[in-house]
Amino acid sequence: MAINEQMLKSIIEDVLKEMTGAAPAASAPSKVAAAAGSVKLTPIGDAKQGVASDEVIIAVAPAFAEYQHETIVGIPHDKVLKELIAGIEEEGLKARVIKVYRSSDVAVCAHTAAKLSGSGIGIGIQSKGTTVIHQKDLPQLSNLELFSQAPLIDLETFRAIGKNAAKYAKGESPAPVPVKNDQMARPAYQAKAALLHIKETEHVVEGKKPVEQQVSFV
Amino acid sequence: MIIAGIDIGNASTETALARYVDGKPEFLASGIVNTTGMKGTRQNIHGVFASLKQALEKAGLAVENVDLIRINEAAPVIGDVAMETITETIITESTMIGHNPSTPGGLGIGVGVTVDIREVNSCDKGASVIVIIPKEVDFDASSQIINHAVKNGIFVNGAIVQRDDGVLINNRVDKKIPIVDEVSLIDKVPMNMRAAIEVAAPGAVVEQLSNPYGIATVFDLTSDETKQVVPVSRALIGNRSAVIIKTPAGDVKERKIPAGKIIIQGTNKKAEINVDDGAEKIMEAIRSVAPIEDIKGEAGTNAGGMLEKVRQVMSNLTEQLPSAIKIQDLLAVDTFVPQTVKGGMANEFSMENAVGIAAMVKADKLQMNMIAHELETELGVKVEVGGVEADMAIRGALTTPGSDKPLAIIDMGAGSTDAAIINKAGEIKSIHLAGAGNMVTLLIASELGYEDMGLAEDIKKYPLAKVESLFHIRHEDGTVQFFDKPLDPTAFARVVILTPNGMMPIPGNVSLERIRTIRRDAKTKVFVTNAIRSLERVSPTGNVRDIEFVTLVGGSALDFEIPQLVTDVLSKHSIVAGRANIRGIEGPRNAVATGLVLAYEEGV
Repeated sequence: MAINEQMLKSIIEDVLKEMTGAAPAASAPSKVAAAAGSVKLTPIGDAKQGVASDEVIIAVAPAFAEYQHETIVGIPHDKVLKELIAGIEEEGLKARVIKVYRSSDVAVCAHTAAKLSGSGIGIGIQSKGTTVIHQKDLPQLSNLELFSQAPLIDLETFRAIGKNAAKYAKGESPAPVPVKNDQMARPAYQAKAALLHIKETEHVVEGKKPVEQQVSFV
Repeated sequence: MIIAGIDIGNASTETALARYVDGKPEFLASGIVNTTGMKGTRQNIHGVFASLKQALEKAGLAVENVDLIRINEAAPVIGDVAMETITETIITESTMIGHNPSTPGGLGIGVGVTVDIREVNSCDKGASVIVIIPKEVDFDASSQIINHAVKNGIFVNGAIVQRDDGVLINNRVDKKIPIVDEVSLIDKVPMNMRAAIEVAAPGAVVEQLSNPYGIATVFDLTSDETKQVVPVSRALIGNRSAVIIKTPAGDVKERKIPAGKIIIQGTNKKAEINVDDGAEKIMEAIRSVAPIEDIKGEAGTNAGGMLEKVRQVMSNLTEQLPSAIKIQDLLAVDTFVPQTVKGGMANEFSMENAVGIAAMVKADKLQMNMIAHELETELGVKVEVGGVEADMAIRGALTTPGSDKPLAIIDMGAGSTDAAIINKAGEIKSIHLAGAGNMVTLLIASELGYEDMGLAEDIKKYPLAKVESLFHIRHEDGTVQFFDKPLDPTAFARVVILTPNGMMPIPGNVSLERIRTIRRDAKTKVFVTNAIRSLERVSPTGNVRDIEFVTLVGGSALDFEIPQLVTDVLSKHSIVAGRANIRGIEGPRNAVATGLVLAYEEGV
C-alpha cells in the first residue's frame, strides 16, 4: 500500500494539532471528560508489594488518563480500564491500579506490575493502548501475552486480556487471547504511534517509584 | 558368511546383522529407521537401504561384504482405523441451557417468567421474572435496572446473560440471584415462558434441576410430564449452573443415529450386527463367528462406507481388485466424541457415544517378492523373503535371557497386534489381529476433540506434567521437579507433554488427570483387549490360562505404560508376562529381524 497524499495530510494535521495543542490542551481534556464519563485516577501513595494472591495489578504508563485520554484508535481510557478491571473481577479476583513513572516502555510497566502483584501476574498498558500480560519470574523483555498492535485492540479484547490475566493468577491455562494482525496497521499508524509514544515519554520521571492509584469512574 | 535380517514394519524398518561361523550366528550390529511409505510397497526400499546402511556402518562393513539379505514375509496384514458417532442430543424449542460457563454469578435457584431486561419495569408489581440480558446492555446498566425493579416490588429471581458478566452483575445487585452467563445465542431464548435457573456454589453441582422430581416441583408437573423431563435432568447432571425453560412442545432427546449393519462371514457361520449396538456386541459377534473369512458393511450406510474405505485403501496399495480384499479381523472400541448439541443456545457440547473400528486386511500377498527382487538388482546381493513375521518374532523373542519354550509372544506394533506361540516341539502357531498403536492415537484424538493427530500421537507416547510456576513442574504422579532457569513462558500454567525435545504445551484447558485417564483408557481398550483376544486364539486349548510365559515385543512394547497395563491384566490370569529383551541388548525391538537371521540355519 502506498501512503497516499490524503493520509499524509491527515497525519500532518494530527501532528500539527498536537504541536499547537499546548494552548487548547487545557480545554481538550475537559471536553473528553464531559463526553465519556471519564475515569479519575487519584494517587494514594507509593505502590506497595502485594501479598494477596487474588490480585492482579494493572500498571498504566505515565500519561495514561492524565495527559492522554484515549488509545491510538480513540477508545477512551476509562472504558479501557473498566473492561480490564471487569475481566479480572468476572474471574473472582481483584484489580489494583498503579502508575509507573520511570519508563514509558510497556514491558517495564507490565513487569513492575507483576513484581508488585501478590499473584505475580500484572498487566502493563501504554496510553496508546499497547498491552502486555507479564509474570514476575519472567525476564523483563519476555511476556505471557503481548498485544503489540494497539490499533487493533478493541474493548472486547481488553476484557479478554483482564480475564486471561486473572486466569493465569488462578493457575488455570487459558487459551491466549486471539491476537489480531493487520499488515496495514503498521504503515497506517506508525507515525501516530511514534508521536504518542514520544508524548508519553515526555512525562517519564526518572527514579520515581510507581504510585498506587485509586480508581473512580465519574 | 554375513547375513542381514531386515524387518519392514508399519512404523519402523529394523536390521539385524550377523556373521555365521561354523553354523552359529554371531550378531554384529542393528539398525533402525522409520519405514518409508506404507508397509509392503515399493517405497519401503529407501527405508531398507537406510536401515541396512546404519547397521553396516556400526559394524564397519560395506554392502559388498553382505552375502545374504532376508526380508520378512510381511504377513500381509494392514490395518486401518475409522470412527462413527452413534448418538446425538437434540434440543427442540430451546427448553434448556445446559452449558457450563466457568464463572456463573450468584447462588441458589430462581423461578419466574422470562422478560427482556429493557422491558422489566413494565411488569406488574409482585410478578416473578427472570431477566434476559443481551450484550447491548452492559453489566453496570443491567445491575442498576435490576436493583431498580426490585425496589419497585418486582421479584427478579434470576438472569440469563449473553456476555460473560455473571460475577460482575452479581457483585452489583442488592438481592442475590442466580445468574447464568455466556449464553451466546440469547435471541433464541423464548420470552414470557416460565423458567428456572439454578447456580451451585463453587465446586458443587446443581441438585434441583438435575433431578426429575426437582423439575416437577418447580414447574408443578404431572407424573406423565415428569417422565418426559428425565432426559433434560440427565443432561444437566454434573453442571454447576443450569436453566430450564418450559415451552409447550419443548423436549430434549438422545437419538441413536442408524449407522448400519456389519455382516461377518465366517468359515461356517454368519453374523449380522448393528454398529449402534456398541463395541461389546460387535466383539461378541466376531468371537462367535471366528475364523472369519470376510467382513462387510451394509451397503449405503455409514458402516458400509467405513469398511469399504478400508477395502479401497488396501486395494490401491496392493494393486488388487477391491473384491479380492478380505477383511480378516476387526476391533471395535466404545468411545466418546464431543459434539455440538443440536438446537442448543450456548453452543453446548455433549459427549456422544461413538464406535471406533480398526480393520485388518489380509491381501493375497504383499509385494514383498517385488521388493526383494528390486533390492537384489540394486545391491547386487542375494535377497530372499524369509518366513512369516510372527514366526520370526518368536525366534527373536527366544533370545531374551530367561526365556524358553514353550513361549508366547505378543507383538504390539502400530498397525496390528500379532501373537504367536511355540511349543516344546518347536511348532509355531500365529495370529494377526486388528488394532494397535494407531488405534490408540485415534481414540485419544477423538475423545479430546483434536484434529491434530500429531498431538494425539505425542500424548500417547510421552508422560504429562503440569507447569505450576516458571521454576517447577508437577509430574503425573505428583512429584515436583525444580528448574534453575525460568521455563518458556508459553508453557506457563499449562499441561505439557514431556517429549525428549523438551516440553510441549497442550492447547486448551483440559486437566492433566482427564488427559491421563483418556490416554490410559485408550491403551487398555486396545492393547489389553487385544492381548487377551490374541492369546485366546493361539492357546492350544483356547484358554488364556494354559499359557505360562508371554513376552511382549514390538514398538508399542517400548511405551512407558502399555507393558505394565498388559502385564498387570495377564498376571490376573496367572501368566508371567514381561517385555522382551532381544539378544539381551535390544529390548523389545528387533525381534523379527533377529528371527530372520536365526531362521536361516533352519532353512525356513
